[in-house]
Parts: sequence; C-alpha cells; structure tokens
Amino acid sequence: MTDVVLRVNGKERKASVPPETTLLQLLREHLGLTGSKLGCDVGDCGACTVIVDGLAVNACLMLAGQVEGREVLTIEGLATRDRLHPIQRAFEERAALQCGFCGPGSIMSAKALLDENLDPTVLEIRDALSGNLCRCTGYTKMIDAIQDAARELREEKAALAVR
Amino acid sequence: MKGFEYVSAKDARHAIALLAEYGPKAKILAGGTDLLVELKSVPEAPPAVIDITRAEDMKGIKVTDRGLVIGALATHSEIMSSPEIRERYPALVDAAHSIGAIQTRSLGTLGGNLVTAVPSLDSGPVLVALEALVTIAGPAGSREIPLAEFFVGPRRNALKAGELLVDIVIPRKNLGKPAGFQKFGLRKGQALALVNTGASFWLDPVKKVFVEPCIALGAVAPVVIRAPKAEAYLAGKKVTPEAMAEAGRIAAGEAKPISDHRASADYRRDLIAVLTRRSLEGALAVAERNQMESGK
Repeated sequence: MTDVVLRVNGKERKASVPPETTLLQLLREHLGLTGSKLGCDVGDCGACTVIVDGLAVNACLMLAGQVEGREVLTIEGLATRDRLHPIQRAFEERAALQCGFCGPGSIMSAKALLDENLDPTVLEIRDALSGNLCRCTGYTKMIDAIQDAARELREEKAALAVR
Repeated sequence: MKGFEYVSAKDARHAIALLAEYGPKAKILAGGTDLLVELKSVPEAPPAVIDITRAEDMKGIKVTDRGLVIGALATHSEIMSSPEIRERYPALVDAAHSIGAIQTRSLGTLGGNLVTAVPSLDSGPVLVALEALVTIAGPAGSREIPLAEFFVGPRRNALKAGELLVDIVIPRKNLGKPAGFQKFGLRKGQALALVNTGASFWLDPVKKVFVEPCIALGAVAPVVIRAPKAEAYLAGKKVTPEAMAEAGRIAAGEAKPISDHRASADYRRDLIAVLTRRSLEGALAVAERNQMESGK
C-alpha cells in the first residue's frame, strides 16, 4: 500500500491506497470527491482535470504517490456554501454546458488559465481548453463564459486594490 | 492497472540504484503521460514503477560551461516559460507548445518525450538541428552521445538496461544559434505531427550567407533524420527566399515517409518542402532580431 498525505481543496487528507491507484481514483473512490470525471482514462478528454500545485493536469495520469505533500484543487473546492465561483456562475449564465460531463474539467482548465492570466485573448482561452473535449457545446459559449468570468475577476481585483 | 510496487527516487543516483535493484523490467515514471497509458493496457505489470519526479538534480534549465543544460525532468510547460530558452530558442518554445494540451505539458517531460522515441516526437527536430547531446547515467558512470544517435528506431532508444537519461545539452558552440520549428498536424491541439521540422543556421552579418545550416525532419523516417544534401546546398549560399524553398525541395527527397491512415507519403513529402522552408524562415527571423539587438 502507498500512504499519502496531501492537501485537497485546502484541507489535509490522508489515504492508504494500492500503489497503482491514480490520483483520479484517489479523489473519487477514496476521498469521495466525484466531481472530477472519468472519461477516456488516457489523458485525451480532460474530464478529470484538476489543479496540482497551480498546474492543470489530468488526474487519470498521475499516481496517488506522486501527490504526496502536494496541493490539489478540484471542482468541489471552487464554490463556497452560498456562492458559486465566478467561472461556475458564468458557465451557468451563458448556458456553457449541456450534458455537463466535461464541465468540471473544463472549468478547472479555465481556473488554471485565469489564475495565471486575468485578461486572456480568445486564442489563449482556446489553447487552455484544447485538452478538454466537449461534444455538446462547440465551445463558443464556454469561451464567452470564461471572458465574462475574467472580466468579473478583474473587477473584483480592482475593487480590492482600491480598498 | 495491474498491481506493481511504487518507489520514489530522491535523485538520479538513487534512481539508478533502484533500477539495479528491481531489474530491467522496472519502469521509470517521469511525466507519466505515456507510461500510465501504457500500464493501463499491458497484460503484465512491471515489478516496480520508479517515480523520479522528485529527483531535483534532474530538473532545471541553465547555462553552464557545457552549454544550455536542460534537465531530463524539465516539463514542456517549464521549457515554454524558461527565460534561458525563450530568449535564445523561440523554436524550442514553439515545439514544446505544440505537444498535447496544457494538461500534458504540465506533466510531460522533455526527457520522457525523447525516451519514448516515437518518430513524430515534437521535441526532436529542433534539438537535432542544434546538435544536442544527451547525458546517460548508469551503474558504471555516465556517457554523453549525440541526440541523433539516441534514437535507434521507432520507440527504441540507446539506453541500456539500468541506464537513465539525465540531461539534454545544447553545446556551447550552438548557444544562441538561430533556429525555427514547424509542425503540421490534423488539429491544433492533441495532434501527432504528420511532419515536423527544425532548422538552424548562423547568418553571416556581412555576406548574408548561410553558415553551418542544419535541417532535421521528424515523422518521415524511423527516427528523426538530418537532411545533409539540403544542408550542403545551403552552406555558403546567399540567404534568399528561393534558396530556402530549394532547400525544402531537396530535403523532401531525403526522407522516407510512409503512407498511413493520417496521410500519404506524397502528402508528407510536400509538407517537408513547405515546413523546411518555413523553419528556415523562422530561423532567419531570429537571426535578424539578434543582429538588430546586438547592433543597438
């Protein structure tokens, strides 16, 4: 068994899992966080995208042992009890999801982008989403939503700077 | 995945000791973007997976007296953001950017990309065109060989049992040598190259001729190849659009592309001519930028 201690969505979590357990299995089957989805399981579809130490990764392509001591952010870590994250709210308002299966991964890719760049161009957004397959939306509304969220996050940041 | 033992190496020396302990069937885990995919489908699990992602001595990108040294564990994202690489080799940034998608580039490493030795690997052409060397460490010490010789065949590299790829070195004589990269895939993201090319040359500031031109072609032979006839054609020739186009046509005749479900050999040959020309144009743009900046 591999023993891991890591931080998930700001909280310390521990688990003892078989060595071949992926980060995705650790999250879904051992920590009860089923927001990240299992799609292709080979790193093509991006439905399992989470953020590890600030970087968007496919959770299906990391072993649990690799995240020992690391900080993992999943879709469950974005909203607070009474408020959706601006990216989530923008996806809802723009109807950027249909079946929704790619949503957690697409939103985490958008989060990783906006954490680095609050004013991305459409090309940069497309690049950030190129590892997330969505067969419903055609991406147009996701791109609109991410631009909305970026605007809101910029305004939030400006308001904080004034205070 | 079938069960295996998971061990984490703290540095390169530890990884080599673990390789000796677990034997030739043990697998090295660097980025994992190829290895985990493979492990999910193999009938028999390896005795151990040796995780080297915490081997700090195999990370980092720095200029030393050997040249530009890129740790085998440098990820494609790190290559894209490295100031040492960005200012000297925009072509390496372009090549790294063309790999997979962001999720792949966050994890995938340069060393891993080279070790897989697939003919279409996007890290190959520019590094071969810059005459990169690789350092291989093993129980008996370390050795350095040209990257071009590291590729032995499709998915076959020069590593012997118990050996580890430690770093990639662009030799000092090629520090800042202008280079260009081109890739043509069927999509922008997550696409394998139908053809990828790298080119480098020094631009003689007075005579405006090609000096030490190097052209490397990927996905059109069992391994990344050079185009020696095209290189010989360019050497000492005045830098003109016509010369670059002709070098592309010559290079197209030097490859042995295959026809497969993605493209025909004829189509790939046409691509070689176009992409070689554009790689040379890319190198020229860098050369002109460098000369303008040094002229200031």
